[in-house]
Amino acid sequence: MTQAPKSISASTPKSGENSWLWLLKLVTGPFIIIFMLVHFIVNHAIASSGLLNYSDILTYYTIWVVPVMEIIFLGLVVSHSLLGLRSIIIDLHPSRGVLAVISWLFLIIGVSAFVYGTWLITVIVSLRVTL
Amino acid sequence: MSMTKWTITIQVYRQKGEALPHYDEFKLEVDPDEYVLDGVERIWAFNDRTVCFRHACHHSTCGACGMRVNGVEKLTCITPIREVTQNGGKIKIEPLRNFPVISDLVVDMGSLYSNMERVGAQSVLPVTEAEIERPLRSWPKEDSQYIRLSDCIECGLCISACPISTTSETYLGPAVLAGAQQKGVRLDPNLLRLVDCEDGPWRCHSAFECTAVCPSFVDPARRIMLLRQQIVLERLTRLFRSEPKKNTVKEANR
Amino acid sequence: MNLNRNQPSPGKLLQWFNPLGRKLSFSGFTLNRVSALGLTLYLYLHLIVLSLLAQGPNAYDNFLKLIHNPWFMFGEWLVVAAGLIHGLNGLRIALTSLGIVVPQQKQMFVFLMVIAVIGSLIFAIRMYTTF
Repeated sequence: MTQAPKSISASTPKSGENSWLWLLKLVTGPFIIIFMLVHFIVNHAIASSGLLNYSDILTYYTIWVVPVMEIIFLGLVVSHSLLGLRSIIIDLHPSRGVLAVISWLFLIIGVSAFVYGTWLITVIVSLRVTL
Repeated sequence: MSMTKWTITIQVYRQKGEALPHYDEFKLEVDPDEYVLDGVERIWAFNDRTVCFRHACHHSTCGACGMRVNGVEKLTCITPIREVTQNGGKIKIEPLRNFPVISDLVVDMGSLYSNMERVGAQSVLPVTEAEIERPLRSWPKEDSQYIRLSDCIECGLCISACPISTTSETYLGPAVLAGAQQKGVRLDPNLLRLVDCEDGPWRCHSAFECTAVCPSFVDPARRIMLLRQQIVLERLTRLFRSEPKKNTVKEANR
Repeated sequence: MNLNRNQPSPGKLLQWFNPLGRKLSFSGFTLNRVSALGLTLYLYLHLIVLSLLAQGPNAYDNFLKLIHNPWFMFGEWLVVAAGLIHGLNGLRIALTSLGIVVPQQKQMFVFLMVIAVIGSLIFAIRMYTTF
């Protein structure tokens, strides 16, 4: 006698991933490519010494568009990476409970990373101002 | 069929009951233009009557003879022996991945059939709606009275090849999602809820293995992409729709 | 009757990285997954390292001396290569996900990976000649 086939249930809500989360991951991707190109080319090819010097970095961050750009870039990268990592974990079919824990954990990590990164940027900007 | 004869070894996956799986080897003299299924049948007829395998139409219509040949999903009734080995060579035959093995090369396809039914996959379509290779630019309207079998023969090769189906037992899989795309989420509000979830097209990561192994021009990977479009458009439409959402077919038909 | 063998299982995740019997696009899937994990790890390491900026010039400039180490440079090169692979392959995935150039996705993959290899080589030459 074969086991009963595992079929989907229309009544059980399953929202571990949906169109909105997928769209967010899809949309952040191309923006990351653009910001990454700018981040990389400007930071390491245009900025003096390729930003391999403490005081050059502080000077660079006095240009107002730089911290704004870096904060947006940070938000994009953190959300894209954690959504992607969560998607890989969902591919392993975790239980609802485990997925809920992971989702909350990633949300905390993501928000913390974004807040920490933004704080770090404001500290760097303020360091140059005080010098 | 040519007069050439090859001597080949066919290695067959064996699994009965609770015993550990193993491989049995059979040396056969074959015509290289015969098909792999012919080789398996000859093994059953003349070497080992306990070999279990599935077959029916022998012309790629029923989808019953799907197996893994040298690690690749194939319909064995249309896979010539000369395509997968050479004279003196070996062919390894295993059951499809990601389905429970009932015996030897026979797997339990119940989950696939059940899910195809759940999404309302259509087995026949008006010929004007069917997508075939090199379609006519426009079908005369009167032709809509004619129907055609849907391309999908529910062979399960795509689900066996899908890397996500390997790790997630509830992922609907390429065949089911392709069937849902053909049905259309707009036509069935329940279908939208069934597919717009963690087991739906968001699990696809563009490996395109399903399309690579599909013997029947379903192109499930492309259909999954189109299903995503359908779902996103439907969700966006609902977001801006003024009338209340209709969550069941009954409400939608009111 | 044992029906548990051959069934989907999270333990089979190593199959994601097994190219035997697979077509070219499967390599795109594998490369995207590997590069995603590597880049995510790098992102959070990068954020942690940048905290040295808040500790003053000595802390950061001392750390910068480390990156001239050949192993560090190789690691940096890996990050750039992974970024190129993931970004360009991601473009392919984004386009095909929207139903664009699906029939030509294989050719697109080859083209984009050639660009990624060229970009990685250029970076390697620039990095090793500069330092």
